[in-house]
Amino acid sequence: MNNTLLQIKGLSKHFDGLKAVDNVDFELFSEEILGILGPNGAGKTVCFNLICGIYKPTNGEVSLDGQRIDGLLPHEIASLGVGRTFQIVKPFSSLTVLENVLVARGITRYNSFLKMWSTWKSSAEKKAALQILEHVGLADLADRKAGLLPLGNLRRLEIARALVVGSKLILLDESFSGLRPEEIAKLETLIQNIRRDGITVLLIEHNMRVTMGICDRIVVLDHGRKIAEGKPEAIQQDDNVIEAYLGRRRGVDVA
Amino acid sequence: MNAYVITIATIIVINAITVVGLNVIVGYAGQISLGHAAFVGIGAYSAALLSTKAGLSFWTALPAVIAISGFIGLLLGLPSLRVKDDFLAITTIGINFIVEAIFLYIPFFGGALGIGGIPRIMLFGIKIKGLAFFLLCLIFLSLTLFICRWFTRSWAGLASFAIREEESASSSMGISPMRFKLLAFVLGTAIAGLGGALYAHYMRFISASDFSFPVSISLLSMLVLGGMGNLWAPLIGALILGSLPEIFRPLVNYRILFYTFLLLLMIRFQPGGLLGEESFARRVLSSVLPGVKK
Repeated sequence: MNNTLLQIKGLSKHFDGLKAVDNVDFELFSEEILGILGPNGAGKTVCFNLICGIYKPTNGEVSLDGQRIDGLLPHEIASLGVGRTFQIVKPFSSLTVLENVLVARGITRYNSFLKMWSTWKSSAEKKAALQILEHVGLADLADRKAGLLPLGNLRRLEIARALVVGSKLILLDESFSGLRPEEIAKLETLIQNIRRDGITVLLIEHNMRVTMGICDRIVVLDHGRKIAEGKPEAIQQDDNVIEAYLGRRRGVDVA
Repeated sequence: MNAYVITIATIIVINAITVVGLNVIVGYAGQISLGHAAFVGIGAYSAALLSTKAGLSFWTALPAVIAISGFIGLLLGLPSLRVKDDFLAITTIGINFIVEAIFLYIPFFGGALGIGGIPRIMLFGIKIKGLAFFLLCLIFLSLTLFICRWFTRSWAGLASFAIREEESASSSMGISPMRFKLLAFVLGTAIAGLGGALYAHYMRFISASDFSFPVSISLLSMLVLGGMGNLWAPLIGALILGSLPEIFRPLVNYRILFYTFLLLLMIRFQPGGLLGEESFARRVLSSVLPGVKK
């Protein structure tokens, strides 16, 4: 087994009485694709936001490469090489597709008061950004305004930006939702290629078929708690998971 | 050119300079400010006090004036930029009223009498006035436009665009929203300070009401009319809103009506401003000059 990249220990986030995430533990090994599954309101996105620093945990620890990152701000965590996409796409609408990727490429400049004054309008930068766009299949739309793109392309754009930022880890929040089957197939190949390039992927997904197909391991959340963890085949057979998704089998006492 | 035209033109250019500063804050970084006149006032009062009380020349005082305006921008930006949108609009209105009240009620700032006797700007032993002052203002305007162009081409500028478009996405790309909002605010207020200093030395008498809330509104109108986020918008906006009242002077009783009507037409037909994306002016320009993007 590879070494641990991301470790989550006793992670909790309580909104007053609501335990959105409650005492969740799991770890993510390098170059692994780990899926977080769960019904609506299970705490998947909250879990993501805790890792990215949008929320501060009520309790527990998040460590990246052995270094505590909980309590850091979102831009600080991004600077450590954690890229993410958003469930509700957040493009920089009036910038072009290329400029959207260039914003992400600036990650090495934004923390230096000297470098931030150099220009982003160089041909070298443009070339590098175009390369990323080719990788996700958006190169021919590079000069289009991002706000004019359909959802499928916006999801690719989000992945392109996350790829630039996430040198270590990328978090994909329901990147498949709202896509047509042929778009899903393309995206699956893309994610497998990302892993082949040595980047670890943590993804949230509703689409069972996709999750089962591409994840090495799966963590299942329900009502903020981890109810199962393991290989996709094992998860499919897990009684707790079946109960969470489909309810209790009639006449059979699962608990 | 007669003195009347030069006076109007000079005021237009000074307004354009301050609106360039507002464009950095509102147009580039997307942080609404309805209190920009306060920072013009801070620049003007600093320049006036440094020249009348400390006896400094315009040129020796100028770096200090710009630094003071930017520093007060930083101090006021720190708490205000923690809130967004409507709340930020209200906070900046508040800043405008507080700053105006300080000028008006604290005797050090001249109180209701304002500050008079501000000396003319001297250059090589010559008093700068009339056309020369207008040209000096034009030079300063070019300088601020140059700085703005540099800003929009820098990573810092790109970071502010990202914050304007989508703040949480920008922070997931390593951009600290607070840092770059403050940066834009300081740059914008420092440019406002420069405009204020020129205003003080041009009018040679300033009072608190020169920097009141309606002035902020008119500065913002200029920016919106020109097209927020466009480099040339401040110049176009200041030119139109500065010259129209003069052109329509015979219709003095209907000026406000006309002005309101014009703004309504803009909002209805050209919401992006005259130089905004796909505006009428842009389409005409792009068909004439191939270099201009639609």
